[in-house]
Amino acid sequence: MRRLILRRAVAFLATLFVVSLLVFTVVRVLPGDPALLIMGTEGSPEAAAALRRAMGLDRPIPVQYVEWLGGVLRGDLGRSIQYDVGVGRLILSRLAVTLPLTVLAAVFMTLAAVPLGVYAATRNGRAGDYVTMLLSQLGIAVPSFWAGLLLILLFAVRLGWVQAGGFDGWAAGLWSGLRALLLPAFALGVVQAAILTRTTRAAVLEVLRADYVRTGRAKGLSERTLTWKHVVRNALLTIVTILGLQLGQLLTGSIVLENVFYLPGLGRLALGAISARDLPVVQGVVLFVAATVVTLNFVVDILYAVLDPRIRYE
Amino acid sequence: MAGSLGLGWLRGTAALLAVGFGLGILGLAKPSVAVAQGPALVVQITAEPPGLDLTATPASATATVVFYNIQEALVKVDAQGRLVPWLAERWHTTDNLNYTFFLRKGVRFHNGRELTAADVKFVLDRARNPETKHPHARQYEDIVTIHVRDPLTVTIALKRTNAMFIYNLARQGSVIYPREAVDQQKSQPVGTGPFALERWDRGDRIVLKRNPDYHVSGLPKLDRVTFRFIPDANAALAALQAGDIDVMAFGLGPESVELVRRAPNLQLIQGETTSDVILALNNSRKPYSDVRVRRAITHAIDKPEVVKGAMFGFGRVLGSNIDPLNPYFVDMAKAVPYDPARAKQLLMEAGYPSGFEAVLKVPPQYPYTVRTGEVLVAQLAKVGVRVKLEQIEWGQWLDRVYKNADYDMSIIGHAEAWDAGNYANPKYYYRYESARFQEVFAESERTLDEKKRRELYVQLQKIMADEAPVIWLYAYPRLVAAKKGVQGIWKDLPTPSLDLSEVGWAK
Repeated sequence: MRRLILRRAVAFLATLFVVSLLVFTVVRVLPGDPALLIMGTEGSPEAAAALRRAMGLDRPIPVQYVEWLGGVLRGDLGRSIQYDVGVGRLILSRLAVTLPLTVLAAVFMTLAAVPLGVYAATRNGRAGDYVTMLLSQLGIAVPSFWAGLLLILLFAVRLGWVQAGGFDGWAAGLWSGLRALLLPAFALGVVQAAILTRTTRAAVLEVLRADYVRTGRAKGLSERTLTWKHVVRNALLTIVTILGLQLGQLLTGSIVLENVFYLPGLGRLALGAISARDLPVVQGVVLFVAATVVTLNFVVDILYAVLDPRIRYE
Repeated sequence: MAGSLGLGWLRGTAALLAVGFGLGILGLAKPSVAVAQGPALVVQITAEPPGLDLTATPASATATVVFYNIQEALVKVDAQGRLVPWLAERWHTTDNLNYTFFLRKGVRFHNGRELTAADVKFVLDRARNPETKHPHARQYEDIVTIHVRDPLTVTIALKRTNAMFIYNLARQGSVIYPREAVDQQKSQPVGTGPFALERWDRGDRIVLKRNPDYHVSGLPKLDRVTFRFIPDANAALAALQAGDIDVMAFGLGPESVELVRRAPNLQLIQGETTSDVILALNNSRKPYSDVRVRRAITHAIDKPEVVKGAMFGFGRVLGSNIDPLNPYFVDMAKAVPYDPARAKQLLMEAGYPSGFEAVLKVPPQYPYTVRTGEVLVAQLAKVGVRVKLEQIEWGQWLDRVYKNADYDMSIIGHAEAWDAGNYANPKYYYRYESARFQEVFAESERTLDEKKRRELYVQLQKIMADEAPVIWLYAYPRLVAAKKGVQGIWKDLPTPSLDLSEVGWAK
């Protein structure tokens, strides 16, 4: 286990190094720069050029990179051009929205998808199975921003139960915060839930065909014990793999929903920073997300070992 | 009788106390911090400002929030587009070179200090210093000296007459701020405006609070203004319908106007802006360097159809770059009429009997550019000009099209007022070089006589229509959706601001 962690730590740092190099170069090679975007079509080109020099963007890219990397190693991600605050602080404040949103969506997704998938598999070929599959097909087909808008129109505009969007901060109370995140989390979770339902159903069906299930049934195990203790446990390996991948997709999908529900989250920060060429923010967010995804993968690997005693990574 | 009355009073009070106590315990009573003290307004804006320093960015998002609300200038462009004395209560000049400004007495910045002539000198000296990277340093280049005569009087000396001088002092880049707050402009701007900045929650909202010492008595009418950044037009409309916001200031698409008109609790404010939507042509490239080709393209475009197809009929057809809010505006819409037969003939004369191919670059960040482009592609195809529509991201558009003039055709709205000078600048991305235009424009900049200046501007508009350096399509309409009861929002937008000083709720 120690060797595994050590190997992972080296891979972790190497990945982040490559990511940092890539993102740093790409945002600088891209046409358009922050000075140009700040001045727009109305500022004079001379002012844009002077601003570019003042930002140090006319220096060679390797020099800029080394300087930035030095800051990152000291824990300083730089300062946002657009917002005039530290990038680290900015990311943390946005996580307060995106993290609960993603977790809530993941909870929705798992609570809905796993039981539904198991249900469909055990009703294979019967009405319950068809209805579940039809619903999940619908869930995959509906784009999340559209689902989000429909939810807003129904629950906020027509019924007036919740606000149409926005987030007043956790300081306004736990319930106020949760209420603001319910609709977007649902819209975000629905698509992934549909995918997970189908995966779960397939995984459970696969296991149901195994010999030991027949044996279990023959020795008189109740259908309930059989399903939840033997079948689902063995299907979990596939489910957890997909779930791990989906967590990453929830993070990406949150960009779209943060826009529709105008939530001040990490996704909107990234999107806005790319269009404004707020280079320190783009670099900081990409690095942060890369670190998160690599860590998530690591956790999934450990979970494998826990779930399947045969995997112990020598 | 008296006894029973007393008892009723007692019982009522007891009941009220009990309910109040119960609510308090249950935490159902609203926390006092969330209750606004007086009238408040929540305004949606599409884009978040890239910093709040008007002397560092010409972004309209910054001007919307800061200009006239937090910071003001010596002169103001009012709702009718007129220049009115503002922080300067009057000025005079005898030779059109030395202007003496008399500041209004008792105007205080939000930090409590009184506005003085030394602030005016500091602000303008800084603006014309190229080191400070003011977006429009050139607007102050005719200033030679700024002399503080006494705390409320300042004289500005120019090296030559400049007809735009007073107007330039009314622009957003000429706001007066206290010299001690110069370094905090980007995130904590201080000014003399009706509102002071309370907080800026990055990525979410900007909150302004009432300035109790505002120099115009009785204003502002609101205690608090919240700007919320909602980029998605559908989301903003839903928020307005749900009552989360009170005003949708920008970003109401013409496609949603009917919906606002039919909603019983909403009102539509419709007016003009200074934004000219144009089909830009690269005059340094063939075949656009040939005036016959440019005229042919103009004849090939049915502008009323463009407005109908791309803007649902909203927007005024244009024939030159002078917008309808400009005092010298002359309607040139029919100067070069829609005439596809003439267009084909001109193309033949120019040596393109079977037309040519072109790439039209549009930034989808502004949806009207894409919709307008689609209509133009169809119209130009009828005279043999085969146009390929290419959507490019805004940052790339600025780099490729605007900075490097690497394009054939493009569509964009130019929002700045009084921007005819761009056609006198051959380095501007139109790459238009006309000695005739440059000469008349230069003369107009030095002519102060109102009548003569008007004549020169009429001449400029005729040259533009005749030489067709670009094709002016329509003036972008001002479309604002607000809750019924919101009053005092400007109908037209002669200057890039969202002046909320006189905005309030109907009693």
